Amino acid sequence: MAIIEVQNLSKVYGAGDTAVSALDGVNLSIDAGKFVAVMGPSGCGKSTLLHLIGGLDHPTAGKVRIEGQDIAAMKDEQLTELRRRKMGFIFQFFNLIPVLSAAENAALPLLLDGVKPASANAKALEWLEKNKLADRAAHRPDELSGGQQQRVAISRAMVSDPVIILADEPTGNLDTHSSDEIASALRSLVTDWGRTVLMVTHDPRIAAYADRIIFLKDGKIVDDTLMTGEASDNARRLKEKVESL
Amino acid sequence: MSVRHTLLGLIAQQPRYGYELRAAFTALAGGRENWDVTPAQIYTTLNRMLTAGLIREDSSPVDTPSEKRFYALTPAGREMLEDWFNAQVNSAPQQDEFHLKLMLARSLEWVNLPRMIQAQRSSLYQELHRITTQRQLLDPARELAHILLMDKAIMHLEADLRWLDMVEARMEDVQKQPAPEPELRRRGRPSKN
Repeated sequence: MAIIEVQNLSKVYGAGDTAVSALDGVNLSIDAGKFVAVMGPSGCGKSTLLHLIGGLDHPTAGKVRIEGQDIAAMKDEQLTELRRRKMGFIFQFFNLIPVLSAAENAALPLLLDGVKPASANAKALEWLEKNKLADRAAHRPDELSGGQQQRVAISRAMVSDPVIILADEPTGNLDTHSSDEIASALRSLVTDWGRTVLMVTHDPRIAAYADRIIFLKDGKIVDDTLMTGEASDNARRLKEKVESL
Repeated sequence: MSVRHTLLGLIAQQPRYGYELRAAFTALAGGRENWDVTPAQIYTTLNRMLTAGLIREDSSPVDTPSEKRFYALTPAGREMLEDWFNAQVNSAPQQDEFHLKLMLARSLEWVNLPRMIQAQRSSLYQELHRITTQRQLLDPARELAHILLMDKAIMHLEADLRWLDMVEARMEDVQKQPAPEPELRRRGRPSKN
């Protein structure tokens, strides 16, 4: 079932002669429990698409439905509520609070939401553990590597049990090894915990973890590839190779 | 290719017999699908190396049937193997089928170039997804040799994809330049002056 539906979505920045069309009539349907990557050259509209789906920005035209509800028609409070209950955000820069520990950072959304500290902390520790950071819970961000900080950010995104996780260049600031860790962690949110992940990236290596890649160019979808398509000869050979080992 | 050297290397580790050498080669090269050597190839190579004095027949270990012929390394074989270890391995030649396709298709208006590039990109991504998935199933504590081989495949696909992005971005400029054509040479014998 489609958890995210985008219809004829457009976004124009500015007006008149200086108007720039960032997104131009995009149609898209994303099934629950899938890992979807959005790729394309810079300025193709991929971040705009993510922001519109996340309700961080208002479309010029078109609809975004989250679990069937049109978010463009929502009042601000409704939208905030939906974002808080249904969505988790992960950004390129981890945006952790320097003076708080990993556990406190991860628990923050729940504390701001009025959840009792004890249960907020328990939930934070649960997700830190799932992200293999249980032994770093008391560390402050500056005592953690970039990859570890991003895993704290993933834990923070997950404490309120969102169904959709939106990631904007989550590995843009990381080395290859840490990028692989983050991609695995996002993959695990889908495979092990049944969430839906929509990720914008320019890194082929990271996009390869997804189930589907949507290619944008000049604000339009130019291709949509399911990663489990018909195997090419080379891929088949590699598969047989691995199975024979 | 380097089948001969690899067999020498395997024999250098310990005396081995033909069938065992084939299995050991396959394991080392990452599976039969990756690099298949036929029994005939193994036995022909062994015979040549025997004639060339690179290996010699060795007595069978006590607990194996006597019909198995074991081979051991000779000093000449050792020398050849050392030379191989010290020599550089050439990287793959710059023969690229997709580059050929592009350069031919650019002047044929009935080929949809952007579509061709995108189709190639999709298929590379599908391959990259499969290898990435398979690589994650391998255990770094036991299967690092195979992980390294897959990492190489992943990095090559990554490079192919980045190259494709570059091609796409520069196709318009390429179209403005003349296609590579041979320099016309006069036929027949060169003139005698």
